[in-house]
Order: sequence, then structure tokens, then C-alpha cells
Amino acid sequence: MRANCWMGKQKLSVHHVPDPQILNARDAIVKVTATTICGSDLHLYNGFMPTMQKGDILGHEFMGEVVDLGKGVKNLKIGDRVVVPFCIACGNCEQCELGNFSCCENGNPTGWIPEKLMGHATCGAFGYSHLTGGFAGGQAEYVRVPFADFGPLKVPSTLSDEQVLFLSDIFPTGYMGAEMCEITPRKVVAVWGAGPVGQFAIASARMLGAERVIAIDRFPYRLKLAVDKAGATDVINYEDQPVQDTLREMTAGRGPDACIDCVGLEAHGHGLPYAHDRVEQKLKLQLDRPLAVREAIFACRSAGIVSILGVYAGLVDKFPLGPLMNRGLTIRTGQCHVHRYMKPLLERIERGEIDPSFVVSHHMNLDDTPRGYDMFMRKQDEVMKIVLLS
Amino acid sequence: MKSVSAIQRIPYPDDAPDAALLSRGLGWFSIALGVTELAAPRLLARAIGIDPRGVAPWILRAMGAREILAGLGVLMHPRRPAPLWGRVAGDAIDLALLGTAAASKRTSLPRLAGAIAAITGVTALDVVAGRRTQRAYNQANRPVISAVTINKPPEEVYAFFRKLSHLPLVMDYLVSVEEIDARRSHWVAKLPVGTIAWDAEITDDRPGKLIAWRSVERTPINTRGRVTFTRAPGRNMTEVRVELQLGFLGTEPSATLARLFTRAQVKGDLRRLKAVLETGEVLHSDASVHRGPHPAQPSTPDDIARLERSRMSVTASPPTAIKGVTPGANPPSGSRTAAGTTPPPVTPSTSPPTSPIGKGVRP
Repeated sequence: MRANCWMGKQKLSVHHVPDPQILNARDAIVKVTATTICGSDLHLYNGFMPTMQKGDILGHEFMGEVVDLGKGVKNLKIGDRVVVPFCIACGNCEQCELGNFSCCENGNPTGWIPEKLMGHATCGAFGYSHLTGGFAGGQAEYVRVPFADFGPLKVPSTLSDEQVLFLSDIFPTGYMGAEMCEITPRKVVAVWGAGPVGQFAIASARMLGAERVIAIDRFPYRLKLAVDKAGATDVINYEDQPVQDTLREMTAGRGPDACIDCVGLEAHGHGLPYAHDRVEQKLKLQLDRPLAVREAIFACRSAGIVSILGVYAGLVDKFPLGPLMNRGLTIRTGQCHVHRYMKPLLERIERGEIDPSFVVSHHMNLDDTPRGYDMFMRKQDEVMKIVLLS
Repeated sequence: MKSVSAIQRIPYPDDAPDAALLSRGLGWFSIALGVTELAAPRLLARAIGIDPRGVAPWILRAMGAREILAGLGVLMHPRRPAPLWGRVAGDAIDLALLGTAAASKRTSLPRLAGAIAAITGVTALDVVAGRRTQRAYNQANRPVISAVTINKPPEEVYAFFRKLSHLPLVMDYLVSVEEIDARRSHWVAKLPVGTIAWDAEITDDRPGKLIAWRSVERTPINTRGRVTFTRAPGRNMTEVRVELQLGFLGTEPSATLARLFTRAQVKGDLRRLKAVLETGEVLHSDASVHRGPHPAQPSTPDDIARLERSRMSVTASPPTAIKGVTPGANPPSGSRTAAGTTPPPVTPSTSPPTSPIGKGVRP
């Protein structure tokens, strides 16, 4: 089969590789009908995530048709149309019982690596380095899906691929970010980053009843989409306006009640802090550029909530612990517990409360994936979300 | 093996402060000597009766650097035995070098003898400090090599473990375990050094609580061990703790050796034990089916055949049905299992056991 392989920093190529096979009784093989490039894939593309290996197949958001099943999977049939959550969770361990699926204790066969780097193991994930298990990803014709009796969600034929594909990651991720903000109608929410996850965080915050949602980005077309489709009430383009002052003015000095970071470790900015982070990241003194989360902490109203969805890899420098502590802020974060949200969000899509396909900007063939990454990274042609079809 | 609880240990025995005091003294001595050797090697060479021309000053400088590092090691961890044993090794090097110097004609033997006597004295102190620290360290350190929490009641985890023939399923270096009678068993393991076999006997067996064992035949590697099963606080889960002592070629088994050589392995064994009991089998990824580094790409049919063979060799050993293990049927009360889904009936299966289906935890 064809698959998009990571061959080094900013080097990708679509290779012919062996077809996946059943390795465990609870496996399924899924023929991919639609997959996409995630913003977090760019961290792999740009070489900021440790433990990548030449030849790794990327991609963790995909859906398709079940073509083969291990003998332990009884709830799926060959031919079922499923969306697959990006995190690999067993459904049996205590974390899964508690609903913390992205903290599953059995989903990561290379768990000893994050145990060394992060203190404890993380869950498994498709196509996301060897910190998360070394599983082949979804930017391919076929994918092996472990714990297929637990993860994949059957989707009705009345909905198109593009309407349900994002249930695999970005829609639940954005939703979880908003849910963590304990939104009530009187709350003002600010969202850093109006990329695909940011769009869903904004849309979810509105869905949960926030009266005012402020989108912060530097690309006018993204801010426009946030207003037109996701429902942002205000925007800040940080290239033109000072973020802190503008937020203070918009909230009459209080600051947003909740802040959502949808940016992660490749944040942009300007001035000395940005230069400092770039240099440290280049020298590998830190893996992350925590500009957005720093800004969010400074801006957040005292006793407010900072929800972190952006992906970070390691230890960061100049973290505003003092403001965080003295102003009684709460940090909420985590890789999305996708399994928790797939079904309720599918119901919202079925009821017509939201149509996630609004973020799709481009369609490409799987063979053009490397070009897609480059375009996505450079934000060319007003790119928002690229759907790959094989 | 002492029958002390695996959890409750006295953190420091009474003589520990003494040991630390002597260690610190030796650490500072090490640094003082090291600085002298580095800064004034010629002066020092003359003082101990060695010809200050030639290579002697350079050797002294190198020894000085080593002394400073050793001293820092001791001062940073005065309660750890390893840095002190490092000093003892350094003393041995010093004595050997001084011995070689005695052969040179330009050496002043009386002065050299004085130096040798001084170093011998320090060596004696190092050994005393090392032994004291070692004893305190052994007592203060928990004997547990590794531990894991398994989402099954202790009785079930115990029952799986007590059926010793199950162990090769989770301990990938074992070829087979055969139970000879209620206490004795025959173990075959494939280690990097070759295939070895030994007999072991169970020395303590408390259902649902603990199993202790020791190897009985004289083998190149002899072990003593104990695994305890404790109910996790407030939940019907099991905390599994493994204590292990390891000895080579008939020496007394020690926890330090076990920690050094087996910790990574035991950790992996416990992770696999958890996986088998909770999910029915050990999960593989495209990379993890290979021994060494491998990209996250599907394996070739050859790789898969190899994986199947290794599973066959394990499951070929006697009873294959895993009794008392109901993968996926989650017993704890208050679990979020959605109403309407009943755990699948337990079918005696060929191993690896069939996995649970559609548990419906998704809220």
C-alpha cells in the first residue's frame, strides 16, 4: 500500500510499504476513505518532537471501512464505516474506567520512553513518534487499529466523510478545551490560535453558551472564518494589536474568564520573548516555544481557567508560575479523551447543531501529502484543513 | 528473606549519621588531596620521594582530577555506598602506582614508604565507611524492584501468578515453567548468555496475598524473590510488588545486584502482566514487534511469522486456558460501565485469551 512516511525534518515521501496485518486479537484493519493533516503533525514535520524514526508513517485523524477483524472483535463487521479516535485506549484499565482515555495504561507498547521523559507513560497514538507506541499512522491506504472493539465509532451513512472525519481528533479536542472552561453564559472566553482546533474550540464555547468568544491569530482569513462560521464575537490580530491591552479593553479590565491555548510549541510572536524562545528552541535548550500559554496566563482574569490544548513536548523556560499562583488561576489540560466525546458530538452533528466540514479548505490525493504539509506549514492559499483521499 | 512488609521500612538506621560524617570527611580529604595533586604536582612528588621530572607530575595531575571527582561524588551522596567504593578503587590505583615507583632508582624509598603507609590508612578508612554506608543503605532501601497496579482483585491476580506455567506469557525470557509438585517447579530461560534451567521452590504461599520462592539447584544464577498482592486503597484493584535478590556463581543473592541487572526486565514483565490480565493479551505496535529500533511501518509477513512462532513456543507449554481471568469483565463497583452491557461470558479459551468486546464505557 501507499503511505506518507517521515524521512527527516521537513522531508516526507509517499512510499510503498507492506500492508498492515492483524497483530492482536482485538485489532481491525481499516481501509482509509478520508484522512487529514493535523496541526500537531507539523511539530513532527518540523522535527520538534523527539523519538521520530526515518520511515515512520504519519497521520492520526482518519476514517474508513473495516476490511479485516481479529478474532476478539465482535461488535464490528467487515464493511462497517468507522471513525477512529487518535488515541489508543484499552477500555479496561482504571484510567479508561474513569473516562481518562488518553491516559490509558495499556495502549502504549513503548511506554518506557515517555516514562523516562515525562515521568509516566502516555497513551498510544497513531503515527505520532515512538513516545506514543510506534504505531503506523493513518496517512495511508490501510491502517491497523488496535483495541478495535473499543475505539472506533460506527457512523451513519447519512453523514458525509467530511462531516464526521474530525470526530477522530480536532472536534473533540476543541470541545474538551471549551468544556474545561466551565462555560456559563456570562463568561468571556479568549482563544489563542484560530487554526482548525481553535475553530472547534470557538464553536464549542459558543455551543456551550459563552456569550462572548475572542479569537486571536495573525491570519485575517482564519479570523474571518472564526467569525463567519465558528461564531467568534471578537477578533484580535496580534500583528496589528497588542494582545494584552486589547483584551483588557474588551473586558473592561477584568481579563477573559477563561483562556484556551490552541497553539502549542511552535507559537509565533514578536519582540524579545519570541527571539528568546526561538534561540533556546534552536539550541535545544527547550523543546517548546511557550509564547501562547504565557500570554494566556498573563491575560486571564484572576481565579480564571487556562485550558491548554496546544501540544507541548518537554520542559519550558520562563514559565509564569508567580502570576499563576498569586492570581489563583487553574490550569486544565490533556490530550483529548476522544472516546468520551465521539458519541455525544456525533449526536450534535446529526441534530444539525454543527457541521464540522466548515474547516475544510482543500482536497488532495494521498500522493500529494508532502505538498500538503508544506502548504499547511506556510499557510499558503488560505489553507485551513486539508482532506486527503486515496 | 526477612518477612518485613513490603511497604513499611524504617527509613534510616541509627548508625547512619556516623557513616555520613566519616563519608563527608573522606570526601573533603579527597578534594584537598586532588587540588594539591593538580596545583603542585612537583612539590608533592618530592614530598613522597618520587623524581619530579618526567611523567610523574602528569600522572599526579590525572590522579588529582580523579580524586576531585571522587570527592564530589562522595559529598553529593554521602549516604550512598557506590561513591565510597569508587574511592576504594582509586586507592588501589594509587597503591599500584606507588608500588611501580618503588622500582625506579631515583625514588627515595623511606619517603615512598611513608606515602604508601598513609594511603593504606586512608584505604582502611574508605573500606570502613563503605561497609557502614552499604549496610545502612541496604537496610534503608526498599527491597522492591518494581511495582504495578492491576485493575483486577488480588485473588484473581494471585491465581494467575500462582499458575506458574502462565509466567512465560508475560516474562518473555522464559521458555517454560513446569510445576513438579505443589512447591517445586522447573524453569527454563533463554538469556543472552545461553539457555539455562533451574529448579525453584515456593517458600511461602498465602493465597491472594503473596508468593515467595528461591532457586534450589546450584545454577550460575541463583535467585530469591517475593511477590506481594495488596488491595489498592479504596478500590478493588491489586498493587503488585516484586522483591528480588540475585546472586552469581553461588554467591549470596543480593538486592543490589537484582536492582542492577533485573529492574528493566521486571518492569516490562509487570507491564505485560497488567496487559494480559486487563486486556487479554500484550499489545504490539508496528515498532514494538521488533527487538531493536524499527520505524512505525507495518511488518513484513516474515516478521509476523516470527512473532507467531514466539507466541506458539510460549503457549505450547502445558495448560493453555487461563483460569480465573476474565479479560474485560470489570468487577469494581462504581465503574462507569454503561447500563445494558453485560460482561461477556467467560469461555475457556486457547491462549492468548480472547479479548473482551464492546464494554461500552463511552458515556
